[in-house]
Amino acid sequence: MSDQSTPLRRFWAEFRENKVAVVALVVMVLMGLLALFASVVSPQNPYDLANLSLMDSRRPPGFVGSGGYTHLLGTDPQGRDLLSAIFYGLRISIQIGLAAGFVSLTIGTFLGILAAYLGGRIETLIMRMVDLQLSFPAILLALVIVAMLGQGKAQLIGALVAAQYAYFARTAYGAAKAERGKDYIEAAVATPLSTRLVMLRHLLPNCTPPLIVVATVQIANSISLEATLSFLGLGLPVTEPSLGMLISNGFPYMMSGRYWISVYPGVALIILIVAINIVGDQVRDQFNPRLRR
Amino acid sequence: MMKYHKFLTPLALAVSLGAANVAAAQQLTMGVRGGPESMDPHFSALGSHAEAAKHIFDTLVWSGDDLQIEPGLATSWSPVDEDTWEFKLREGVKFHDGSDFDAEDVKFSIERIPVVSGPTTTTIYVRRVADVEIIDPLTIHIHTDGQAATLPNDFIRLFIVSSEAAADYSTPETAAQGFNSGAATIGTGPYKFVSWEPKGDLVLERNDDYWRGKGAWETVVRKEIPNDSSRLAALKAGQVDVINYVSSVDYLALQNDSSVDAVIGDSVYVMNLQLDQREDTPLVRAIDGSDLDENPLRDQKVRDAIDYAIDRETMVDIVLEGLGKPANQMMPPGFFGSSEDIPMPEYNPAKAKELLADAGYPDGFEVDLYCTADRLPGDGAICQGLGQMLTQVGIKTNVNAISKTVYFPAQARLEYSMFMNGWGTLTGEASYTLGGLAHSNDPDVKLGAFNRIAYKNAEVDKLLQTGATMMDPDERRATYEAAMEKVMADKAYISLVQLQTVWGAKAGMLEFTPRFDEDTLAFFIKPAS
Amino acid sequence: MLGFIIQRFMQAVVVMAVMSVIVFCGVYAIGNPIDIVIPPEATEEIRLNTIRRLGLDRPLYEQYFIFIGNLLQGDLGRSFVYNVPVLELIGGRLPATLELVLISVISATVIGVSLGIYAGYRPDSWLSKTIMAVSVLGFSVPSFWVGLILILTFAVNLGWMPAGGRGDTVEILGIEWSFLTADGLSHIVLPAVNLALFKLAMMIRLARAGTREIMLTDTIKFARAAGLSEATILRRHLLKLISIPIITVFGLELGSTLAFAVVTETIFSWPGVGKLIIDSISVLDRPVMVAYLILVAFLFVTINFVIDLVFALIDPRIRHGASA
Repeated sequence: MSDQSTPLRRFWAEFRENKVAVVALVVMVLMGLLALFASVVSPQNPYDLANLSLMDSRRPPGFVGSGGYTHLLGTDPQGRDLLSAIFYGLRISIQIGLAAGFVSLTIGTFLGILAAYLGGRIETLIMRMVDLQLSFPAILLALVIVAMLGQGKAQLIGALVAAQYAYFARTAYGAAKAERGKDYIEAAVATPLSTRLVMLRHLLPNCTPPLIVVATVQIANSISLEATLSFLGLGLPVTEPSLGMLISNGFPYMMSGRYWISVYPGVALIILIVAINIVGDQVRDQFNPRLRR
Repeated sequence: MMKYHKFLTPLALAVSLGAANVAAAQQLTMGVRGGPESMDPHFSALGSHAEAAKHIFDTLVWSGDDLQIEPGLATSWSPVDEDTWEFKLREGVKFHDGSDFDAEDVKFSIERIPVVSGPTTTTIYVRRVADVEIIDPLTIHIHTDGQAATLPNDFIRLFIVSSEAAADYSTPETAAQGFNSGAATIGTGPYKFVSWEPKGDLVLERNDDYWRGKGAWETVVRKEIPNDSSRLAALKAGQVDVINYVSSVDYLALQNDSSVDAVIGDSVYVMNLQLDQREDTPLVRAIDGSDLDENPLRDQKVRDAIDYAIDRETMVDIVLEGLGKPANQMMPPGFFGSSEDIPMPEYNPAKAKELLADAGYPDGFEVDLYCTADRLPGDGAICQGLGQMLTQVGIKTNVNAISKTVYFPAQARLEYSMFMNGWGTLTGEASYTLGGLAHSNDPDVKLGAFNRIAYKNAEVDKLLQTGATMMDPDERRATYEAAMEKVMADKAYISLVQLQTVWGAKAGMLEFTPRFDEDTLAFFIKPAS
Repeated sequence: MLGFIIQRFMQAVVVMAVMSVIVFCGVYAIGNPIDIVIPPEATEEIRLNTIRRLGLDRPLYEQYFIFIGNLLQGDLGRSFVYNVPVLELIGGRLPATLELVLISVISATVIGVSLGIYAGYRPDSWLSKTIMAVSVLGFSVPSFWVGLILILTFAVNLGWMPAGGRGDTVEILGIEWSFLTADGLSHIVLPAVNLALFKLAMMIRLARAGTREIMLTDTIKFARAAGLSEATILRRHLLKLISIPIITVFGLELGSTLAFAVVTETIFSWPGVGKLIIDSISVLDRPVMVAYLILVAFLFVTINFVIDLVFALIDPRIRHGASA
């Protein structure tokens, strides 16, 4: 390992050694791009009803529909081109995963650092609450909250955040607490620097590596949780399906041999989640000092 | 552990060991989508509840395969005067515990209903009853609150329980316990209660002294399997002999499957598109999002255009995969009050665009369409198809196919402008359907309670009010037919498709006639000869 | 030690009290069950009657105290939909869920820990890599999707296993078990595999990570230097050291598996509590939801309490320095 480079370079050099992780990263980025440019790469806008024709519905892969192009992965019961629906669904799934991940990251980190910094009663209160929630299964919490808030994107994100922020809070707290005890923080606190500055400048950077690891895992979890909720009928409306919704819409057709409606979105979902998890795994191993020889 | 399934183990054993062969002739295992909510037949008015109750209990008036009314525990009935009906009761009928059935049981059952009814209220069956008078053990007079021409129709789900066995179990607190344990579950029906587990199995054994004759099956197990795919899988795996509500999705696959017979029956459900007739309607706007001067749905030309935009054939063939029929009115053909003179609407998108332009909407307008997505087979899919068809003639439609638990409360609060759901003419006659939907909403005459679109046609109102008081069936029929024709011509209600239901059964094993009310009744299912 | 137990116990009681308030208020903030429980065609009179009968006309705090009062007498209320005591409803289905969960968690732990230790002990062998690849899959693939594929493959296409339901049961100690009959066993295999897969992956990862860390520590180095055989090292040091996190996770997973069973039970029509709760959510049967959540919370608090005690027994440091 070369020492003259920046930490980021060193990180990448180590990351590169794991071929599987590199492939996973490429896949992840690729899927992100597909989602981002869904409207450009898709042969059809699957949400524009004027574009769809019921006559094209449930056609097997390779069918040439009334739009004049080939449906590479077939069509769904509404006559949507499945490939386009997957790209758009990918977009919604990733959107929800990122949004839920980001909001939980913010709230969780804030609470965790606050608890570690302030200590005392507030620390106990926040961390008791977090521990309590951690011991409660995320799926159940999300289920109840979705039932409470109703269906919709914002509600779903809210439920996912409520179910997941505690992981970030615990992680940030752990890292910040370890750092808080060190002399330089005590010194910084003693100087007339503002509380906010100490937290931002000293505590936050030290929490970042573990938070990144948790974030990758939690984004994958959000995506999978969203799919599960959609499958249970508590997710998004059917007219703008996420990957989970596509799977659940297509499931009834499996028995009658029209596997593609459910299987292809499922494959896309799994590739996405597996890729994120592999990348997350590698990052975790690299951040874990105890595995360094 | 629940105390009321002590018999389950040996029976359940028999189910799976002998499902395919030996026990087949003696036992029928049915996989059904929904089950009873309690063993108290008076607890709920849900169809699946009544269906289960019909195995154990009888009704005064029986509703046949085509919903025609026939003698049940009552052998005949006739009006005595303006507000009194006389019912003659069947002689020699015995309850499962050997006691005799008589007028006392009828009176007891009618009076019990308002006390023990659950939230999905069974009081609708006795709402017209003012008083019950016992003339002799086999004759009763029902005094009604005003004229009630359709009282016998109300009684098709009036289950008769034993006034002795249920005497101690007729308060809201004790009813569930008494009936779920079997203590009060004593009826006159074809099967006797053995055990029941909520959302699980209902186990029954044959009543050898049934007045209609002995049933074909010694034991009947009614398994509740709500998931469509699981139910079909259970049939294919031989765990059940017959299932109801095969989804249209699976129906195609069944046709190529030699191990399963599919039985198709017409359903009472018709999908109706409903267009809000208020001057100010919330969810309609111009294409650019601005407010419109008036509600376009009040314009007959716009409503005609919408009708022309709908391709019913495609809906049936593609969306429902053939499991349905195009509909031109709110009831299936042949029902009391269905008119044969209503033409089948034509699909003509060019004409639709023309009419829209004529009406002053050459660029169309935008509307939010709401429908249930989880109530009836294909409802969500029909909704999305409808959205496509309307959008293609220029009415930009935002489709919201949502859960019935959200849809119906919002519909009742009149929050929608354009919405679609199924309506089942459960009584088989028009006073129920037209009286509920097509009369202007008027609590004083108890009509139009489900009219959620402020539809009002004075002529229709008049026809429906006179029809309700006509005791002569022929006159009544003509009156309702005339009303139906007027309602359908106004096109505030646009009927789309009539649904069909499919039962699946093990190939060559069973014989039965599908019922219009979709009930799956073990007594009427026979082993194939 | 006694002081430690009392302190933990008091904490558990407080947590339960707080949970009951949160759960109750949370669930009672959900929608209006009246709109769903009574049919749209009900008259105003029926509506008001039902509201009164269900006690929904009282203020929330009053409803809460009635609920707590009943709870302390062991009464969790009556289901709005079924009109039977909730406890009876849940109690009747609990054995099915418990059976499924126990079989899944125990098999996942036994198999997962063995595979994980191997993968951590020989991180570079091809078998370890395969194990890890499979574990990433098990960890990532949403469990409902696995369930669908299992049904499609083994029930529909191959016809080896039933697609759903519970099958025959045998009654022992007044409770019915299905794993003791051949038919019951065939019914439980697919759902148990489905439910166990995620836990299996988690156990593998946990055991592997623990093993890798411990194998690099000085303890092991010294033990090797002292000439102890690898088998002894594994047995005496490794197993002991990784057992603490594994016990914790086992306990916690028992609870979370109970919750995850919701998904599996829905897919396989397993007549357990999870299916009941999904149905209750969709019809807003509040008493059932509240009772279920309170019971789950109770279970978690109990599990945490027990884990704390076990820890204290294993690790004397906790017992002495206990303040947490």
